Amino acid sequence: MTAAARLDTTLAALADPHRRQVIELLRERPRRAGDLARAAGLTAPAMSRHLRALRQSGLVEETSPDFDARVRVYQLRPEPMVHLLRWLEETERLWTAQLAAFKAHVEKAG
Amino acid sequence: MASRVMVALRVRATPARAFEAFTAEIGQWWTPNDLFAFTPREPGVLSFEGRERLIETRAGGKVFEIGRVTVWEPGVRLVVGWRQASFTPEMATEVEVTFEPVGEETRVTVTHTGWDSVPRAHVAKHGFPETAFLARHGEWWRALLGRLGEYVG
Repeated sequence: MTAAARLDTTLAALADPHRRQVIELLRERPRRAGDLARAAGLTAPAMSRHLRALRQSGLVEETSPDFDARVRVYQLRPEPMVHLLRWLEETERLWTAQLAAFKAHVEKAG
Repeated sequence: MASRVMVALRVRATPARAFEAFTAEIGQWWTPNDLFAFTPREPGVLSFEGRERLIETRAGGKVFEIGRVTVWEPGVRLVVGWRQASFTPEMATEVEVTFEPVGEETRVTVTHTGWDSVPRAHVAKHGFPETAFLARHGEWWRALLGRLGEYVG
């Protein structure tokens, strides 16, 4: 996936309020799908769909805690957010450089 | 609700002159940038075609449309769509440039807006941690969201 397509996937995943709630809940600690469904007031199938979208975007991953390989929990992955921030920071750098060139041009041509 | 980058500076010129230089002379001051190439090939020259659109013309004469002009108010405000070759079709971003008189000078502000989907409820401002590896989960995320908050409005 290109960087741009990755960004798009991240933002599409974050566009849904239930999925943002999942992100908020996982910020505290990893949780099981059932706990997430209860906390968000959703049915298990509905939560399962949201978790699939979040997994596909790379925002969350399913893993097992060290103490018990049978338990599956969801936790956050920061990489997609890092890509989004990088785009914003690069865009800011681009415009800072372009406006400096613009200023030099205007004031020289004066 | 949108992610947003805003950059401003003052130039020694009237708003009308700054607007003219920004539009009619963009090919003279725009500096090609690898990071923000409009097409994967050799960078070309930027120009506004009438008051219709912003284009890049490569040496061979090929034209890439960066975006359509939606607002054209000489000396005041300019709004133009902004696409790069790497964008997917849904990725539409927009650039607004405003020109405000400040004494003898003009404040030029560029606001680059994209994707109306970054969650505002989750971008409360927090400090950025001294080390990116401070914590795997909560802290790092809070920091990332805080940094994102600086760009989101």
